[in-house]
Amino acid sequence: MSGERKAGGAKRELVASEAMVHLDHLYRVAFFLAKNDSDAEDLVQETFARALGANEQFEPATNMKAWLTRILRNFFFDHYHQKQRWVSAEELSQPQSDYWEGLAAENPGPERTILTRELDDQITAVLKKIPEEFRTPIVLVDVSDFSYEEAAVILSCPIGTVRSRLSRGRKLMQKYLRAYVVGGQDKLK
Amino acid sequence: MNCEEAQESITALVDQELDQGERSSLEAHMDECSGCRLAFEDELALKRNIRQTGERMHAPALLRSRILSDRRIFSEKRRSARQWLENLWPASPVYRSALALAVLVLLLLPTYYLSNRVSQPVGLAAIETYDSFRRGELPFDRTANSDEIVTRLTQAVDGRFQPMGYDLSAMNMRPVAGVVREIDGRKILVAIYQGKGGSLLCYTFLGSEADAPANAAKFFDPDKKMNFYAFSRAGINAVLHREGDVICILAAEMPMHELLALAREKSRRS
Repeated sequence: MSGERKAGGAKRELVASEAMVHLDHLYRVAFFLAKNDSDAEDLVQETFARALGANEQFEPATNMKAWLTRILRNFFFDHYHQKQRWVSAEELSQPQSDYWEGLAAENPGPERTILTRELDDQITAVLKKIPEEFRTPIVLVDVSDFSYEEAAVILSCPIGTVRSRLSRGRKLMQKYLRAYVVGGQDKLK
Repeated sequence: MNCEEAQESITALVDQELDQGERSSLEAHMDECSGCRLAFEDELALKRNIRQTGERMHAPALLRSRILSDRRIFSEKRRSARQWLENLWPASPVYRSALALAVLVLLLLPTYYLSNRVSQPVGLAAIETYDSFRRGELPFDRTANSDEIVTRLTQAVDGRFQPMGYDLSAMNMRPVAGVVREIDGRKILVAIYQGKGGSLLCYTFLGSEADAPANAAKFFDPDKKMNFYAFSRAGINAVLHREGDVICILAAEMPMHELLALAREKSRRS
């Protein structure tokens, strides 16, 4: 019995340590889903707690990144999604998140140019603006480098749906980015 | 294939998710249709920009700390310890008092005799050096010549290793002095940086990751495949990492996430 508990504890520690490797990835997904730093951090922390609570379901040598992302996305859908529907207008008036302040400090010096920052701000603002059903496939495929098949498993939908939502989502993004270039940041509000 | 049919195929081509047949068909259409070719190039550029924006985004250091200290996530050992203690602790109040007294005596006796002799991890000793420096109690000779600092410190350890030197000019800091400290028989090379950006001490010595304090928060950088240990005391933050046999500790009063980012940026994989 104690041997089983010890083995379970060891596996738990192993899963926790391996999960930490995917922290940046999970934070990116959480940030673009929740659209603010604070909720993103809560979302990631809760994902870790849930993943560790269900660590016996994880099979070693399988895709931990996809497994964690699915837990995160399901948790977001269950607990944050409803709330988000009512606050999107408020968030769109703040296209620049506190997150970039921290990033500027992390990468001081010439590497972080003004142009790069502006591009990051535009992409972030536009991603926040498009509906969640289009945003999530873009975050999974473009930001997180998942294949259509992996994204379909995470989203529990057919591969064709991933493809069509990506197509429509990117067109929406291009439309808003053009508005950004033509009319400046106010166009996004 | 017409333009309307081509739209979703363009998306799949951008993501390299088309099979050979679909790809050939779309390529043939784009050879004839400059509008669809342009749409493909635009979508490819957008994907690249989205990916690069994501790559520049990192989880805040504080989130790592929150996760590492979340007992639901990294608590198994602590919980096991508590269960062990509960099993050991006697039910009778008389035996409990006797056992508590015995434990207290056992703890206090060695502490009394050894309190002045217990050594501490070099990491904490480094922070104390910074504290001395902050109070102006650390003697050092200023020099504007950084090569002289490197030469002097390297000679102090008979050339066995060199002090780690960083270009911190982007942070408005430059090396102003080098000091050699000896802790537990080990020579520690301390390079002092100062400027408008504040002060930073860089410690270099032969050691291992065990030189980090036990309560340091450990971060793994998956890109560099290196561990970083963050710890603080009295408003001074420090980050330790290893490059081969050499340990480097950066200590400063700047925010921990900035110091950690600096260590991650400047470190080299061993």
